[in-house]
Amino acid sequence: MSDRPMIEIESVSKWYESFRVLSDCTTAVGRGEVVVVCGPSGSGKSTLIKCVNGLEPYQEGRILVEGVEVGAKGTNLPELRAGIGMVFQHFELYPHLSVLENITLAQRQVLKRSKAEADERGRALLARVGLAEKERQMPADLSGGQQQRVAIARALALDPKAMLFDEPTSALDPEMIHEVLAVMSELAAEGMTMMVVTHEMGFARRVANRVVFMDEGRIVEDVETEAFFTAPESERGRDFLSKILNH
Amino acid sequence: MDVILPNLGFLLSGLATTAVLALISIVAGTVLGIVLGTLRYTSVPVLGQAAAIYIEFTRGIPLLVFLFLFYFALPALGGYKVSAYVAAAQGFSFFIGAYLAEDFRSGLRSVRPQLKQAARASGLTETQVFRHIVLPIALRRIIPTLFNQYVRLFKFTSVASVIGVSELTGRAMLVNAREFAPIAIIVTLALTYLVCCLALSSIGRALSHRFTVRT
Repeated sequence: MSDRPMIEIESVSKWYESFRVLSDCTTAVGRGEVVVVCGPSGSGKSTLIKCVNGLEPYQEGRILVEGVEVGAKGTNLPELRAGIGMVFQHFELYPHLSVLENITLAQRQVLKRSKAEADERGRALLARVGLAEKERQMPADLSGGQQQRVAIARALALDPKAMLFDEPTSALDPEMIHEVLAVMSELAAEGMTMMVVTHEMGFARRVANRVVFMDEGRIVEDVETEAFFTAPESERGRDFLSKILNH
Repeated sequence: MDVILPNLGFLLSGLATTAVLALISIVAGTVLGIVLGTLRYTSVPVLGQAAAIYIEFTRGIPLLVFLFLFYFALPALGGYKVSAYVAAAQGFSFFIGAYLAEDFRSGLRSVRPQLKQAARASGLTETQVFRHIVLPIALRRIIPTLFNQYVRLFKFTSVASVIGVSELTGRAMLVNAREFAPIAIIVTLALTYLVCCLALSSIGRALSHRFTVRT
């Protein structure tokens, strides 16, 4: 394949009515790269990441995933989304399905795998996130950290080329954050392409290749991780870091 | 007892008619409710509005008048003949369907948009999201409401006696006309409905317990 980045975001702008939530955002995520997107709340991070798989429409610019334009009319969004895993702040497990069924539903409906195949893949992934014994439980019976690990397994079950994480630990109790970050770090180490919206600066520093810092719908910084933490270029970046690191 | 026992077979077959009439109307009304509720939920142009008008219209008409519509007015208008039994089944199905539609709609709307978004993110099409996520969750959540409506419908079927359907109430009234023992006959009639309704709602409770959706 080419050297072309997996995800390319070019001058993307988005409005809710007349309110501009994204302004001229440009960045890219290369194959196997881990990019952390951070910034104050309301800065547009979640909106930007949801534009990548077309969950949110954008009005200007282009987003390309492996060269396919997300916002183009003819784009088969379900097919594009099936190739990108996504993990949400509030897990969003299907409450009426067991843990294993949560992981097999899209495998069967989207990838048309047989039940046996999907179950096998689901069990392997549950084992991988340390929840092999939970397959028959319902999501409500699991802790937040366990639910989020199931959600990661659900996303991985479709063998995605990239993973999007939208504040995956923000809704978790402190003692559960670690177990989710551990799974994410492992994924990164295996070379998964990842775009991660998070406030976990320790994780960002250890795992990310680059940090995208957003404020008021703009990408203010887009730099190597160490550069962001040691010498942020912008006043707002410095301000954000001092607030989030010294609490 | 001495007025009930000699007429037991006659009354029981009336009860069977009531049960079958209720069952047909429950099944048909539920299917209609799902279709109308889905049209309302997805706000399909034209059809969604038509469903809304139908629901408003039906809910503003007394049940007995609604049955008259299906037994007298519509056959006269369309130039066809219909038995009282079929007219009653049609009337009850369409009547209860309008109420169930609103219950289905609110059940469908109870599914959080974020959950649908997550399902879409995994590559499911809108139809698959509806079929595998939204509908099953909605159905489970409205089981208690559904069975309340079924109990109402079961009692409604007594109105069919007015257009001459020989169901439980109709037959009890016949027996009463012959024997003239209103206390024994009507108390027995009331208790029979009561027992059936209690049974129906306990099925509803069991199902709702079995299929509860915890979040």
